[in-house]
Amino acid sequence: MNLWFALLFSLAVAAPFAKGEDETWWAFRPLVDDEIPKASGWAKTPIDSYIEHDLKQRQLGPNPAASRRDFIRRVTYDLLGMPPSADQVAAFEAEESINAEERLMDRLLASPHFGEQWGRHWLDVIRFGESRGFEVNPLIDNAWPFRDYIVRSFNDDKPYDQLVREHLAGDVIGNGDPEIEVGTGFLVAGPDDLVGNQDPLAQAQIRANTLDDIVGATSSAFLGLTVSCARCHDHKFDPIEQADYYRMQATFAGVHHGERVLATKDELAVYERERAPILKEQQHWQTQLTEEEERLLASVELPKSFPLPAPSHYITEDRFDPVKLKLVRLTIHNAEQNASSPAGSKVDEIEVWTAGEELRNVAREAKVTASSKIAADNPAAYGPQWVNDGKFGQHWITDSNAVLTLTWDDPVLVNRVLLSSDRPRNLSPTHGERRFIGDYQLDVSTDGVRWTTVTRENARPPISDAHARQRRLRLAMNPEAAKTLRGIRSSLARVRVRLRAIPAPRTAWAGVFSEPAKPAYLMKRGDPAQRGPEIAPASLTTLQSTSARYELPLQAPEAERRRALSEWLVQADNPLTPRVLANRLWYYHFGTGIVDTPSDFGNMGGRPSHPELLDFLAKRLHDYQWYMKPMHRLILTSAVYQQSSARREEASAVDAQARLLWRFPPRRLRGEEVRDTLLTVANQLDKRQGGPGFRLYQYLRDNVATYVPLERPGAETYRRAVYHQNARAAPVDVLSDFDAPDCALVTPRRVTTTTPLQALTLMNHGFLLDQAALFAQVLSGRTPTEQVHQAFSQAFQRKPEEDELRAAIQLLKIHGGEAFCRALLNANELIYLD
Amino acid sequence: MSTGLMGIGMADLLADTRPSGYRPKAKRVLQVFCPGAASHLDLWDYKPELIKHHGQPLPGEEEMVSFQGKNGNLMRSPWDFQRRGQCGKHLSSLLPQLGEFADEMAFVHSMHSKSNTHGPGCLFMNTGFVQEGFPSAGSWMSYALGRENDNLPTYVAIPDVRGEPPNGKANWNSGFLPAQHQGVSINAANPIRNLKLPVGISLEKEEASRDFLRMLNRKHLAERAGDSELAARMASYELAARMQLAAPEVSDLGRESRSTHRAYGTDDSNALKAAYARNCLLARRFLEHGVRYVTLYCGSRASGVDGLMNWDAHKTLKSDYERHAPILDQPTAALLRDMKQRGLLDDTLVLWTTEFGRMPTHQAGTVGRDHNPDAFTTWMLGAGVKGGVSYGATDPFGRRAVQDKATVWDFYATVLHLLGLDHESVSFYHNGIDRRLTDVHGHVIDPILA
Repeated sequence: MNLWFALLFSLAVAAPFAKGEDETWWAFRPLVDDEIPKASGWAKTPIDSYIEHDLKQRQLGPNPAASRRDFIRRVTYDLLGMPPSADQVAAFEAEESINAEERLMDRLLASPHFGEQWGRHWLDVIRFGESRGFEVNPLIDNAWPFRDYIVRSFNDDKPYDQLVREHLAGDVIGNGDPEIEVGTGFLVAGPDDLVGNQDPLAQAQIRANTLDDIVGATSSAFLGLTVSCARCHDHKFDPIEQADYYRMQATFAGVHHGERVLATKDELAVYERERAPILKEQQHWQTQLTEEEERLLASVELPKSFPLPAPSHYITEDRFDPVKLKLVRLTIHNAEQNASSPAGSKVDEIEVWTAGEELRNVAREAKVTASSKIAADNPAAYGPQWVNDGKFGQHWITDSNAVLTLTWDDPVLVNRVLLSSDRPRNLSPTHGERRFIGDYQLDVSTDGVRWTTVTRENARPPISDAHARQRRLRLAMNPEAAKTLRGIRSSLARVRVRLRAIPAPRTAWAGVFSEPAKPAYLMKRGDPAQRGPEIAPASLTTLQSTSARYELPLQAPEAERRRALSEWLVQADNPLTPRVLANRLWYYHFGTGIVDTPSDFGNMGGRPSHPELLDFLAKRLHDYQWYMKPMHRLILTSAVYQQSSARREEASAVDAQARLLWRFPPRRLRGEEVRDTLLTVANQLDKRQGGPGFRLYQYLRDNVATYVPLERPGAETYRRAVYHQNARAAPVDVLSDFDAPDCALVTPRRVTTTTPLQALTLMNHGFLLDQAALFAQVLSGRTPTEQVHQAFSQAFQRKPEEDELRAAIQLLKIHGGEAFCRALLNANELIYLD
Repeated sequence: MSTGLMGIGMADLLADTRPSGYRPKAKRVLQVFCPGAASHLDLWDYKPELIKHHGQPLPGEEEMVSFQGKNGNLMRSPWDFQRRGQCGKHLSSLLPQLGEFADEMAFVHSMHSKSNTHGPGCLFMNTGFVQEGFPSAGSWMSYALGRENDNLPTYVAIPDVRGEPPNGKANWNSGFLPAQHQGVSINAANPIRNLKLPVGISLEKEEASRDFLRMLNRKHLAERAGDSELAARMASYELAARMQLAAPEVSDLGRESRSTHRAYGTDDSNALKAAYARNCLLARRFLEHGVRYVTLYCGSRASGVDGLMNWDAHKTLKSDYERHAPILDQPTAALLRDMKQRGLLDDTLVLWTTEFGRMPTHQAGTVGRDHNPDAFTTWMLGAGVKGGVSYGATDPFGRRAVQDKATVWDFYATVLHLLGLDHESVSFYHNGIDRRLTDVHGHVIDPILA
């Protein structure tokens, strides 16, 4: 134990919640089941007794119960993330049974949309994103099975200890069941840097950063500890040794980002069975093709020698008799690297020289036309304009249609064409950037109709056996053979279509695992180059005073490491895991946690506002055997949850933030809830669950990914926001404006900001305009009064008041339904909850 | 919950974090960022030994393997370095016009990075962390200084017309800071998102909808008197309306004279240079109207060809930089002249940055240079900066920073200092730690302060 450590322990003792002689940090102490304070008539649950007890000490009292309308709106949003329908509100307001609230919450807890809302919370906690982040940042298209697994787990009320085991070691305990194995998606839900790096030290650093993400996500999600802060030295604020960090790092040493086939054995067998006959057919056509080609090849031999040398990257010269022309056409048959396609050939410059006395490169004056490889966000990047700009270094990069034409307004008398891909001789032979053309042909014309070939492809030797074969096929081709080959090729194409139609075995971005080659070691100052002692996978020594520890051998199998950690996290004497979970549930219900830093129970985090209540709830999680729905029910039944959110001056003066819960804290909707609400109100929400996500951006990929937010997302995006394929560093309208996080880091707590950019989005973005128009369409065909009533009912589940009705009708009559709906969709009442 | 609109957190606390009596010289920042790792050896860091030993092995690192692999022998810069200004600083002939500012620039030659990869490198230079998710310097300044102009964003990022820099929008992300501090991305070709009144909505119609909305919100608020959140959201709609008027005015380059346009080069026959020149002009107009932090990118992301769209000259240094340097030189120099002439440099701090440097050797089989995280150059000029000085130095070949080594954190500690802020006090709690732009590091580089 170092000095820092000792100092912090003394601080801990001085902390407000340190009790008696126990020097252990409050969060690390065993759970205590204190005596529940005596209750008054207000209390409905033990929770209320704790709350009331603390309120009394400040001479405060709770609010009366919320109105039926407020309550059903509150609890529906809380559990489902969507508004109740007007009918549901009306029915609930009319219901007379004494247990109306309980029946309502049972209905909501059983709804399939419950898992969408609470699963989305969990995805925040574990930094789940669907692109890989960093410079390349490509989308991950098979991360959604993990998202669906989360939604399903919350819907099915999977016990939390089981969830933890599956997150860390689903592959170990799953016995091949994909529904369980997919849980390890947690490990690889964070960003990873996939840029190749030849520098071994830099590579080691990148690997260490990837593991850091996993250590950080694990310790913050389950333990509420910022173990990452001990990466370079012992934690400055919490009693976490640097070695503890590397114990966890060793635990994950075998984890790598990637996808696994996650299909049942039956699915795999079916897949093979369905493919077998088609594969056989494919083999048949493949043989036919080879035979036909061989027959053709037999008819043509290439000459032993060629008049010109093979094309040179540095300079490839074609001379011909002086000719007056207006067009030169270069037809590239194949690329240097690929005999069967010209795509990807690179040309840095084409020169066309005049014949006669005055030598001049007239290519500079020509108009050049050709298609090329396209970078969508920078269409000219690889364009043909580079071939006659008079400079080397930048290339025209061809697509599969590699024909380039130079055109002059007036005829030019020329006799020489020069081609190259590396004229300055800058690049070594292996460099991809000088990949030149293979076989080509050069034609000239005066009118663009009749062409004269000046260089045939057979003028130069083929550059490889594959090129020779392709050339011979081209030369031997006759109409009859072409027809036969076309027939075979289209049969092959049809076979491929059928093969593709058989769904491949499911894969999911759930990580791949391999045994680490060497034991993990402590990195001094967090630097992989500064080796410290070897470190074995083990539990955190931090908790050893309360929680039985384990240490595995240095060479323990990597699966065993993860399984051991998952067991330790949920073992009965670990006080942090249930405390952290109980606090998270509380946070999402009330807007502030009992500890207001839900993933930090350390010294820099908040102190519990109601420590005894927190332990009471944590204990119940054990009692409920980690089922969460009973806990939700307990909280929702409490008087403190069911009270009104009305503001009271005298109470505000004492406790403005209502940390003591003298009122239910009102809240603004979260980004996802805002979008889901807009869609619901406009009657457009597509409630289809699961499967691949939708995108609110255009995805461009050219080496690295670029995300361009959509101006007018189509109806295929009108699904719940939890199904958005959230890419990293790719903000989108509405969701990002309303604080949906960039999923690069864990987001244990959302911020709520109010900005003019939100106003701009909700007034002017295409999505909002479309919803306003669609909403207006839904209302149309009624009298203005009916329209206003219907609109208020859909938006606010209430009737308009007299002055609202008057103003609304006027707006409708003069400016139409869209202007009216656009205003309604921007109302505070729509996105603030009492 | 929210911090409301104006107060914006730190700004109110400033009085406590400033040394008493200290009057900061800088009120705002212009950062020019050349992504792709612009070579210190070919732009700013004169190395006569490199010329002398051209073609010889790099002593002690003959077998060096760096980002893309093996390296060859030492390679001199293809460009001459000339003495510029009263201070006689040697600067590359590639940037003749920027060289005019030699007497005003304070060079930091001893910068080094934690990453040799563009993505994390850009993040490190912009946020102080190689991992994603941390707030950029501009966001920190927005958070720390608040607004100077209520009708414009506090932090504007101006990406290059060729696209976003490596790691894209993460470079102007507000990370865990509240969303109002994120950089608003705009350039001369792309206006602020959702700013324009939609087609088909007349001003009259707009006003009618807004009137009705105001009425709904006022009634809703009346039943919840004292709820500042609701009032703040109502105010944000009024602010948005003002922004709709102010921002297009500010970004209207048509208001500039022909001679100004010519000076910047907005009419240049090189379309890329003209586009960057327009962005430079836009930057000046934003700064003039009180935007706190403007980051101007010259170059974009990696492409199918190294060094095509940014300064990543792996293979063909000479032809790459002969394309990039003219795009940067005249427009940036015109921007500086213009700012100086208008007195903007008196209270604006200008930064030139890139994510790391390049190797003194050539990359095996090429005439380009590979990534070098161990040495690069940045400079500052303007408010509070001593001109004509150089801080720190690399070894004789420019392979490594060796003297007075400076970190990204030192760089930003200095920037914050010039804005009147103590870099250790500008912090925000996130998940276990009071986070800072300077992490747990950073020392103000005193010798470059005026």
